[in-house]
Amino acid sequence: MEMILNTVRMVDHDQVREYVYGDEKSLMENLAIGILNPEDFKNLNLTPSLNIKLSSEFGEVIVRNNRDENIPQGLIIMPVSIWANQLTGIKGKEPIYKNIVVKLEPTRDPILTFQELISCIKK
Amino acid sequence: MKRNTCSGCSLLCDDIIIRSDGIFIDEVIGACLKGKERFDQTTAKNRILNPMIRENGELKETTWEKALEKTIEIIKSSNNPLLYGFSNVSCEAQLKGMELAESIDGFIDSNASICQGKILDVVNETGITLTSITEIINKADLIISWGANAAESIPRLLNKTVFSRGKFRMTGREIKTLINIDPVKTASFNVMGVRDLALQIEPNKDLDLIRILMEECCTADSIPSKGVAGIDKSDLKRLLLHLKGAENGVIFVGQGLLKPKLDGTNIIKELLDLVQMINMKQERGRISLVLLGGHFNMAGFDQVALSTYGRNGSLQFKDNQLIETQDTIISKINSDDFDSSIIVGTDPISHLPFNLSKKLCTKPLIYIDNKKSATYEVADIVLPTAITGIEAGGLTYRLDQVPVELNKILNPPNKIPSDEELLTQIMEKL
Repeated sequence: MEMILNTVRMVDHDQVREYVYGDEKSLMENLAIGILNPEDFKNLNLTPSLNIKLSSEFGEVIVRNNRDENIPQGLIIMPVSIWANQLTGIKGKEPIYKNIVVKLEPTRDPILTFQELISCIKK
Repeated sequence: MKRNTCSGCSLLCDDIIIRSDGIFIDEVIGACLKGKERFDQTTAKNRILNPMIRENGELKETTWEKALEKTIEIIKSSNNPLLYGFSNVSCEAQLKGMELAESIDGFIDSNASICQGKILDVVNETGITLTSITEIINKADLIISWGANAAESIPRLLNKTVFSRGKFRMTGREIKTLINIDPVKTASFNVMGVRDLALQIEPNKDLDLIRILMEECCTADSIPSKGVAGIDKSDLKRLLLHLKGAENGVIFVGQGLLKPKLDGTNIIKELLDLVQMINMKQERGRISLVLLGGHFNMAGFDQVALSTYGRNGSLQFKDNQLIETQDTIISKINSDDFDSSIIVGTDPISHLPFNLSKKLCTKPLIYIDNKKSATYEVADIVLPTAITGIEAGGLTYRLDQVPVELNKILNPPNKIPSDEELLTQIMEKL
């Protein structure tokens, strides 16, 4: 299913708080997340225990899912984080953080941990 | 008990009461969640208290002498250093950073260049009408939040501006109209009343909205009957009526409006044009803008750079002179046009696209900050600094470009220097 991704700052999923007070587990729990409309959740045949795999022209990432009826259908939002960064990219001289076309599919594959992502960056 | 200014976000609330014995902060009264967390950072478990150097792939604690020696070694062997961040430090530290960049022929930029600095880049062509928080409190009758979720990013902004009673707005909330324009029904929509206007726009359709408002300004009845961008005709007419009829209107411009200029269009330029056109047609007052940068001194970097070098960011030095450049922090990293980086008070690995993070890690990276982060995990040298606004004072610029002085409340642990002191030490050792 194709959707539009917006990365946003959220007070409940705040990366500064996670880095200052959290640990690797809380980082992953609070930041590796994609939030979508309950209707899209239904159409994708998702369950809370399933993860979602998002692919954009810049990369792909697996995160857990959550629902929020305040988000319009066709839109998925992710808190700004090292996970969301896998899907963001550059066009011209500017970074693209919003309105990124992504493909969504349910998956049981695991979410990469913070240290695994750091290792990918260092490679 | 003492009244202090909070450095939790760019609003720099100056009404926070702190009870402290000079060693610890015992009580914080009046701060929002972000502010409280900022004050709590002094004793946070992930605070960096000692300098560190990466050896055999692992960060290890070291002495200040060794860490600074290694820092100087990296800087001296670098021909094209990159300095980035500086939005969470004082103006004094920003100026030191620029002086350092000048002395080592580096390129310096702040987070503003991928955020609100983009707006200042087009202001030369169009001009801009800015306003201050005090003006909004005292005079505003229309507040538009566009592409911003102030309730979560700058938590007390709506509280101060929408709900306050100002000198000329004694009735407070009752006379102020709030309009939220955003694709998501964010937390900022929850403070809306019956006379307010909630406009849930279709994603990526802000430009269509600006253009139809412009058109309607010039020729009445330009709005198609089905509406535009998911907003129906009557709401669009109400929006325009508010814009043209406000005595003192303000638009909070959020990150959601800062779209890249991919097809030759520039949404910011068109928004500024629209505001100018409305102001020309305004009979009662004017519409102004406030740029919602999140970091507490993001506006400061632009101010310091403008007043010292005549440019609002992206400063490239060669032979100790500022030279013209079209580069930004993004283009510099993307084209691998650097051979080392000094990151001050920010976490690029957490906010830059993955591809850029990878490139940043291929060169020696010096990380100057008070807390651990993703950038800490990839740094070659880590130099801790005091927390500005708590353990160090200094000048900052609020989001409405008003200078605000921060005070020192506590002494930093382990005699950690402030950002300004550390950058001065580095310059002296060069």
